[in-house]
Amino acid sequence: MESGQPLIEFKGVTKTYQKGTHALNDVNIKIYKGEFVFVVGKSGAGKSTFIKLIMREETPNAGEIFVNGYELSHMRRKDIPYLRRTMGIVFQDFRVIPTMNVFDNVAFTLRVVGASQREIRRKVSHALSMVGLGNKARSYPMELSGGEQQRVGLARALVNNPTLIIADEPTGNVDPNMSYEIVELLTEINRRGTTVVMVTHEHQLVRDFNRRVVMLENGRVVADNSEGAM
Amino acid sequence: MKFRNFRYLVVEGLKNIWTNRLMSIASVGVLVACMLLMGAAVLLSVNVERVLSTLQDQNVVMVYTADDTSEADAMIAMQQIQQLSNVQSVDFVSKEEGVESLIQDMGEEYADLFEFVDEGGEKGSFLPYGIRVSFVDLAQYDQTIEQIRAVEHVDHINDSRELTMQIINMRNLVTTAGVCIVGLLFITALVIIANTIKITMHNRKLEISIMKAVGATNNFIRLPFVIEGIVLGIIAAALTTGLLYGVYRLVVAQLQRVMSLQAVPFGSVVWWLFGLFCLMGVVTGCIGSVISIGKYLRKEGSEFRAF
Repeated sequence: MESGQPLIEFKGVTKTYQKGTHALNDVNIKIYKGEFVFVVGKSGAGKSTFIKLIMREETPNAGEIFVNGYELSHMRRKDIPYLRRTMGIVFQDFRVIPTMNVFDNVAFTLRVVGASQREIRRKVSHALSMVGLGNKARSYPMELSGGEQQRVGLARALVNNPTLIIADEPTGNVDPNMSYEIVELLTEINRRGTTVVMVTHEHQLVRDFNRRVVMLENGRVVADNSEGAM
Repeated sequence: MKFRNFRYLVVEGLKNIWTNRLMSIASVGVLVACMLLMGAAVLLSVNVERVLSTLQDQNVVMVYTADDTSEADAMIAMQQIQQLSNVQSVDFVSKEEGVESLIQDMGEEYADLFEFVDEGGEKGSFLPYGIRVSFVDLAQYDQTIEQIRAVEHVDHINDSRELTMQIINMRNLVTTAGVCIVGLLFITALVIIANTIKITMHNRKLEISIMKAVGATNNFIRLPFVIEGIVLGIIAAALTTGLLYGVYRLVVAQLQRVMSLQAVPFGSVVWWLFGLFCLMGVVTGCIGSVISIGKYLRKEGSEFRAF
C-alpha cells in the first residue's frame, strides 16, 4: 500500500489548546492513497483534534501537516475551502439539513463548488444509488431511519469524488447492524480508490474489518498496526 | 463567483426571509419605524428650509426719512438707495400706507387713536416716509446698512439684523438636529438588521457548518445573508415611502386648517426620499450582515463539532 507521496502526513505534530489541554504530542503519521485507516482511542485521546487538523479547523503548535498536497501549517485562510473540496466528511450526528430533501442535501456539496444543474443531477443520482437510497431522493430526513440519514451523509461526502473521506464516528448514532452496513459502504468506496480515515471507538467493528489501525492515547500514537490486529 | 452560484444564493437569501418570516416582519417593522422618523425629520427640514428661504426672500429693512423730509426728497433718497449694488428692490411706503400697516399690526380698534394723533390733518402726517429695502446678499448686510445711512434724508433704519440672524441660526439648528437624528437612526437600523441576520445565521448554523466543511468560500456563505439584509431594507424603504405619503398628507391638511402653510408637495421629494431609504436599507443590510457573519466566519474552529 505504501507507494509514492503520502496523502496525509503528520510530522512531529503537537497541538495544545489555549486552555492548556495537550491534545496531540509529537505525532508522526503517514497515510497513503487508497488506504483505509481506523483511528481509535478513548475520549480525550486526541482523535477529534487529529481530524480537525486534517480539515485545517485547527493549526498545530509544532510540526508540519500535509494533506492532498497542501501544507496546512502555513496555509492561507482563503485556500482552506479548496483543501476541503478535496475531501468528504461524514459526521457522527449525520448533519443532514431537515428542511431539505435527500436530493438537495446531497446536491448541497456540488452547489457550493458551482456545479451545473445537469452535473448535479447526474452526480447526486449516482451517489444516492451507491449508498442504496436511489428511491428516496424526494424523502425528507424526518422520514428516514438513523442509518438512512447517515447514508445521506455518506452520499454527500462522496458526491464530489473526493480523494479522501474523513468519517468521524459515523456509526456512533446507528444500531449495530447498520454500523456494519455503513462500514461496508465505506469499504466499498475505499475499494474504488478513495482513501478513508475513520475515527471510531467500536473495537469489535475494527477487529471485524481488519484494516490499518492507529491508536491514540493521551495525544500520542501508541500503536499503528497496518495489519489491523490489535 | 459563477452566475449560477449567484442566482442560487440570491434565491437562498429570499428563502431566508420567508423561512424566518416573523423575524423578517419584526425587523422590517422596526426599520420602517426608524425610516418614518428619519423621513419625518427630512420632511420637516425641507419644509423649514422652504419657510426660511421664503422669509429670507421677504427679509426687508425699513428705512425712514427725517420728519421734515418732503415726499419728493424721500423719493430721491429711495432712488439713491436703489442704486446701491447689494440692494435687490426698494418699495416706497407713503404715510397713509404706514398708518394702515400700523392699524393692521395693532388691530382695528386703534384706528380712532391714529385719527386723533393726526389731529384732523393728512392721514399719517405724524409718520415719516418709509422705504422698504430688500438685499441681494445678506452676508454684506452691515456694509449695505452703512451705505444707506449715508444717503441724504435717511433718519433711521429699522435694523432687522437680529431677526435675520435668528432665522439663520434656526435653520442651522434644524439642519444639525436633522443630521443627528438621521445618524442615530442609521445606527439603530444597523443594529436591528445585524440582529435579524444574526438570528437567521443562528437558525442556519447547521447549514453553515456543513457549507464550511464541504468547502464553501466565505463569500458563498455570506451572500445570502447580505441579500436578505438588502431585501429587508428595500421592503422597509417601499413601505415607509407609502406610509409617509399618507401621514404627510394628513399632517399637512391638519396644519393648513390652523395656519396658512405652503408645504413642500410630497411628489417633489418622493423619489429623493425613496432613494434615501433604499440607500439606508442597502447600506444597513450590507454592513449589518457583514458585521454579524464576519465574526462567525473568522472563527475557523467549532464548525466540525459545533453542536
